[in-house]
Amino acid sequence: MYDFNIEAMYPFFDKLPAAIWTTVEISFLATIFSAILGIFLALMRRSDRLMLRAIATTYVEIIRNMPLLVLLYLVFFGLPAFGIVLSGFLSGLIALTLNSAAFMTEIFRAGLIAVPKGQYEAARSQGMTRSRMYLSVILPQILRVSYAPLGNQIIGVIMGSSIMMIATVEEVTAWMNNTGAVTYRYFEAFVVVAVVYLVLCQGTNLLRNLLGRLIFKSVAAGGRW
Amino acid sequence: MSTEPKSPGNGRAQQNPILRVEGVVKRFGENTILNDVSFNVQPGEVVVIVGPSGTGKSTFLRCVNGLEDIQGGRIVFEGQTVNARSRKVIALRRRIGMIFQNFNLYPHLTAVENVTIAPIKVLREPRDSAKERAMELFRKVRLEHRASAYPSEMSGGEQQRVAIARALAMNPSLMMFDEPTSALDPETVGDVLTVMEELAADGSTMLVVTHEMAFADHVGDRMLFMDGGSIIEDGPPEELLRNPKEERTRQFVNSVLRPDTARRRQSNGAAADPG
Repeated sequence: MYDFNIEAMYPFFDKLPAAIWTTVEISFLATIFSAILGIFLALMRRSDRLMLRAIATTYVEIIRNMPLLVLLYLVFFGLPAFGIVLSGFLSGLIALTLNSAAFMTEIFRAGLIAVPKGQYEAARSQGMTRSRMYLSVILPQILRVSYAPLGNQIIGVIMGSSIMMIATVEEVTAWMNNTGAVTYRYFEAFVVVAVVYLVLCQGTNLLRNLLGRLIFKSVAAGGRW
Repeated sequence: MSTEPKSPGNGRAQQNPILRVEGVVKRFGENTILNDVSFNVQPGEVVVIVGPSGTGKSTFLRCVNGLEDIQGGRIVFEGQTVNARSRKVIALRRRIGMIFQNFNLYPHLTAVENVTIAPIKVLREPRDSAKERAMELFRKVRLEHRASAYPSEMSGGEQQRVAIARALAMNPSLMMFDEPTSALDPETVGDVLTVMEELAADGSTMLVVTHEMAFADHVGDRMLFMDGGSIIEDGPPEELLRNPKEERTRQFVNSVLRPDTARRRQSNGAAADPG
């Protein structure tokens, strides 16, 4: 029987906070950047202009159907062939952002479709410019619809960040790999990291829930909004 | 058929109408929705547009503030030609209030936020004075107590009155109503019509598409009967309702003024009379 010994991990715990921080950092940045990119791509997919629609749709379909690992390889190992050498962290961030943006696009597109036509008409009839209409009227309603599926996507980004180890990013999974390699106790390292990811994801989820309740306060009051 | 408007209101200030509609044609693909529609609206005039469903009444209102473009003719509002494709139409829309059948309130905002958002964000009014003005408008539409409610917490009649306040907050020189009571429960229709009637009494210029014949008769200065994308008859409401010249108008009036409708007209008229 395997002699499970979690104590073997203790000497390596001092390096864990830095690894967790890196995971949080890359996931947070990728979430923000991909959300912004996703909103624009979602708007492009609903544009009257065929060209914009074509670009956005092509992007989504290529990225969505490419494993994150392959995308990371392309950025980290492929780009240097064209003379573009990026740090591991930056490569990872770019790959994670590009990947997540495709899924964010679809989340926000669903949100856009859910906003009734009358909302656009009301905003336009009040003399709002296009950007003002999106900012003050449409976007808040998209977020209201999207914030639940957004939680899924944020978890997806955190999970995806574990692949960044390949690009020498010193995040949680890299800690697991190093610690396992040094101690030959991979199983214990797996367990530690599994717990770390569980706490990270559940923590983000609670935070997102709390934010949602604050922003869409009337939901708590029993209103549809 | 397009006729020169022959209402008494028109003779009043032929030289200076607030809205001039000249031979407007609207097509969706092969379908002609509006066919050579012409009439003028004078400042302070209440023009009601009636007619069967699907005859382009709503489309016409949407053309006036450039939500739809037109394929022929001309719409001139306060001396400015409405061009739905031009950026200038954005500024023009700020002077035209629009009330929709389904209210179209912003669901993520409270009633008072619905009313103040455009004055603050579009007209750059200070937040405090916009809010003060909103409360004034809420008193006008008798909704002071609902200012902080969300649209989903309000009845249809309340929502429509908020929508009216929202439109008035921009100080429009023309108010357009697109079947404002068609989506309402019968018991809340009266509240909305009363508010509209008071607006008319205050001298607002109004363009109202409605099926409320009692209101049209009672409040309208002029009635346009539209059918098949054209204005069939244009004149004082009592004239069109009681003594229509065109056969098509006669048929329509007979069909909407069945005995039961007539009874409702009476009771509505009585309810609308505050005195």
